Amino acid sequence: MDDLADFDDTDLKIVEQLRRNGRATHQQIAKALDIAPTTVSARMRRMEESGTLRVVAVSDFAVHGYHVLIYIGIEVSGRAPGDVAEELAQFEEVFAAYLVTGRYEVSVLLALPDVDDLSQFVTRKFSKVAGIRSITQSIGLDIIKFGLDSVEDAE
Amino acid sequence: MNRPDLDDLDHRIIAILSKDARVSNRSIAADLGVNEGTIRLRLKRLQQEGLIAFTALISPRLDRSTRTAFVSIQADMTRFKQIARELRQIPTIHSIMTMLGPFNIMTTCYYRAIEDLHEVTVRQILAVDGVQHVETSIAVKTVKFTNGVVGVSAVTNR
Repeated sequence: MDDLADFDDTDLKIVEQLRRNGRATHQQIAKALDIAPTTVSARMRRMEESGTLRVVAVSDFAVHGYHVLIYIGIEVSGRAPGDVAEELAQFEEVFAAYLVTGRYEVSVLLALPDVDDLSQFVTRKFSKVAGIRSITQSIGLDIIKFGLDSVEDAE
Repeated sequence: MNRPDLDDLDHRIIAILSKDARVSNRSIAADLGVNEGTIRLRLKRLQQEGLIAFTALISPRLDRSTRTAFVSIQADMTRFKQIARELRQIPTIHSIMTMLGPFNIMTTCYYRAIEDLHEVTVRQILAVDGVQHVETSIAVKTVKFTNGVVGVSAVTNR
């Protein structure tokens, strides 16, 4: 199954059911879609074996002890933005790092256990990275929406 | 954000299901040396408290929209509830967070073509009553991304 053409409407409907409840039984999915349970199991097996589909548990930031999320926009000078991003990506507190267009060159999302952990992170790690001209930080107050299907493969 | 009280067993159950959510309660119970009923109870609690959710991930190349952009929004926060309700309805917007910073709302959008991003910012986000200004920043490269950790409570508690 190498392209979209092999991924038909029935496959898509099964995936949609699984997005709603990843632990729904073959029988439940079959009933919802009015198809045979054997069709559901065969389609799922084909998609899973070809690496097209993965049904997983996703867990909240709080499960991992992260209670503070901070976005930082970084202006870079005198160094390749990619190098700055790669260096920042080494820190465990950096949850995500992107090269971006716009007023900043690099954008990172920090996940921290506590606000108190911020000063240590900045003085011991962040401030030692060369090439950072300025930073603008925004503290996350409340998550209003979050897609469960977030999967971005870093290159 | 709430601070859940989780023990080692909870974390081990989550670790198993993070790899494959189709594993049966019986099989998890056998792996961890506990009763099947214990697994069922733990999972029920974790789901009810918005700590875990089960979902299907498909290969990014089959997905309709695989590019990421950040759209930062300045909005009239006295009308925040209505604004949040309307932004939540926009399918292109993957996540929304209220912020303390130069912008008061930060959204992440998944899109396929640049026209789609224009559509969502100009025709949908800016059209929401109370949204005053938006700034778009396109992620040209994802250097790091931690998969599987999300804002579950934002999905289950609303």
